[in-house]
Amino acid sequence: MEAVIDVQGVEKMYRRRVHALRGVDLRVGSGEIFGLLGPNGAGKSTLVKVLLTVIRATKCQGTLLGSKVGDKSVLSQVGYLPEHHNFPKYLTSRQLLRHFGAMSGVQRAQRNRKADELLEVVGMRDWANAKLGSYSKGMRQRVGLAQALMNDPKLVILDEPTDGVDPIGRKDIREVLIRLKDEGRTVFLNSHLLSELEMVCDRVAIMVHGLVRQQGTIEELTDGQSGFAVRAMEPISEEVRNTVVARMGGVESVHTNDPNELVFATSDADVAQPVIDALRANGVVIRQFGFRRPSLEELFVKAVQEHPDGARPGAQRKGARS
Amino acid sequence: MILMQTKALFIDAYRELNAKKLFWISIVLSALLVVLFASIGYDEDGVSFLWMNVSFLPFRPSIVSREFFYLEILFSGIGIRFWLTWVITILALVSTAGVIPDLIASGTIETTLSKPISRTRLFLTKYCTGLMFVALQVGAFSIGSFLAIGIRGGVWEPNLFLAIPIVLALFSFLFSVSATIGMITRAAMPALLITCLLWAVIFLMNIADASLLMFKVNSEILVEQREARIVEITENTTRLIRSERNREEPGSGDGYEPSMEEIETRNQFLPQIVEGLEDDREDLRQLTFWHNLIFTVKTVLPKTVETKDLLSKHLVDPSLYPERERNQVEEPEDPNTFVIDQAETEKRMQEEMRGRSLLWVLGTSFLFEGVLVLFCLWRFNRRDF
Repeated sequence: MEAVIDVQGVEKMYRRRVHALRGVDLRVGSGEIFGLLGPNGAGKSTLVKVLLTVIRATKCQGTLLGSKVGDKSVLSQVGYLPEHHNFPKYLTSRQLLRHFGAMSGVQRAQRNRKADELLEVVGMRDWANAKLGSYSKGMRQRVGLAQALMNDPKLVILDEPTDGVDPIGRKDIREVLIRLKDEGRTVFLNSHLLSELEMVCDRVAIMVHGLVRQQGTIEELTDGQSGFAVRAMEPISEEVRNTVVARMGGVESVHTNDPNELVFATSDADVAQPVIDALRANGVVIRQFGFRRPSLEELFVKAVQEHPDGARPGAQRKGARS
Repeated sequence: MILMQTKALFIDAYRELNAKKLFWISIVLSALLVVLFASIGYDEDGVSFLWMNVSFLPFRPSIVSREFFYLEILFSGIGIRFWLTWVITILALVSTAGVIPDLIASGTIETTLSKPISRTRLFLTKYCTGLMFVALQVGAFSIGSFLAIGIRGGVWEPNLFLAIPIVLALFSFLFSVSATIGMITRAAMPALLITCLLWAVIFLMNIADASLLMFKVNSEILVEQREARIVEITENTTRLIRSERNREEPGSGDGYEPSMEEIETRNQFLPQIVEGLEDDREDLRQLTFWHNLIFTVKTVLPKTVETKDLLSKHLVDPSLYPERERNQVEEPEDPNTFVIDQAETEKRMQEEMRGRSLLWVLGTSFLFEGVLVLFCLWRFNRRDF
């Protein structure tokens, strides 16, 4: 798959003390919805801003849409919705869209047509001539999304696009994202709302403490952590666990923190049947049996727990323990 | 794409102005001033307002020409010196203090910088849009005044439109300060306050310059008068000594050059005048030093007053300036007493002020602005947002 974003070793250090990015490697393929997640202060927005020339990287190698990162001309093919945006309140949404369309180099006739079309798409057509100052946060977010699409971008970067948006609005935004993907555009999402990312993302990266710790499809990331789980009424003793694991032969057990649970890395229900027999033979009462894949939230929490410094808001200072 | 983006930024700036009440209040007040100009007539009887004769005002065509009255007194004096370069400039500074802080405000700058426009071009275009408030105000006012003065006064002077670049230049000097402080602090209030503070400093420097120049010119005149008096006394006393010698012994006085001591013994005032001359020369040296110092400081600052005065310089023919009557200076009885004609002082001051070159007035002011704009560009290009 052709890479839309392909960067290696991105570093950003503020005032030679605060290490916000510590060598980020990231690859986003064309036509996919890519989610970047991480705790506050992990460096997600910094990375996006580096790609968009809003922040100058201390060190950066790689390309954005085939051009060197930092090349301004390529930004005409990129749409961006920043987090906590503050668009001029004296403009109407139609004026705002036309303004940013012109700033991206969209011809007049096209931007007039596109502005109305996008306002329809984000459900703001009836508010096209109202000043942004009179909008709710969710409405501003919808207009912001439309703004990011004015130049028919090949790559759309959205930083917390559903922030302040009600459930209906979130669903609408998800539909827009899927539509963008269907049109062959690449969507790069920065979000805290893991369940939302899980619903739409083809691939995700987990960023902790200025570094991408994991990257891949959700299946790839959960590989080795998903399998058939047996849940007992009472905690399963260590002796019983060892007996059952020994009986399963080549099927690996998956580590779980739940004392009532036993998980084996297999997607084949037949292979997992002997587990039930072995547990019952040892007097264990089974409550639940089924295939279980860790949620994105579990993956995220696990990644953060493996790098405890990353859970703290704010970037790491140089010299601090990593 | 460059044109499209520039146009978009200017349209956005206009919409921002349009949304501000202050802009429209200024336009309405400017329009009222133009209406006032159109209401003022000037004929053989003097000044009239609408249908009322206000002949108590000391203006008559025999003293003040029609051109001078409309162009210098009304347009340049009231319209430019008072209205545009004080009231409108203050309102414009208030309105535009937020241009740069708003540009770099968090939540705004990210979207703008993510567009295919270089930071240098973005800043310079935004900077130019900041001048739009004054450009529109002075443009509208000049057109209105041109028509009002032309129709009512019969004076059609295209040079009146020089007010547009002159007022714009003056405002741009101040706006560069506002933009720089806005770039550093990211806030409109400090930008406005520090700009006003600098403007006040410039104002005080101008007062110091004018006052010291007046004292210096007075001192120069005094030194000249003393030197002339010394020469006069010396020559008179020498003639007297020679005639006395010729009376005592004919022919002995011709070509006789009396010594200074001899002259001083014959004229009791001369030693006092010579002593006074030394004191006056010392005063002149001191005043020249301080005036040069102020002049040097002014050289690095924007020249707001001199820029403003450029309009009068180019708008009204110097021959149209009414002649100021010279005071009849009575010769004092005491030869050690000197009287300075203030008309002469003013004339010399004006000569010196008007002698200040365009390069000094505009060149150094634009240099000041250029340095600040370069600093802003450097900071804007290096800054992370």
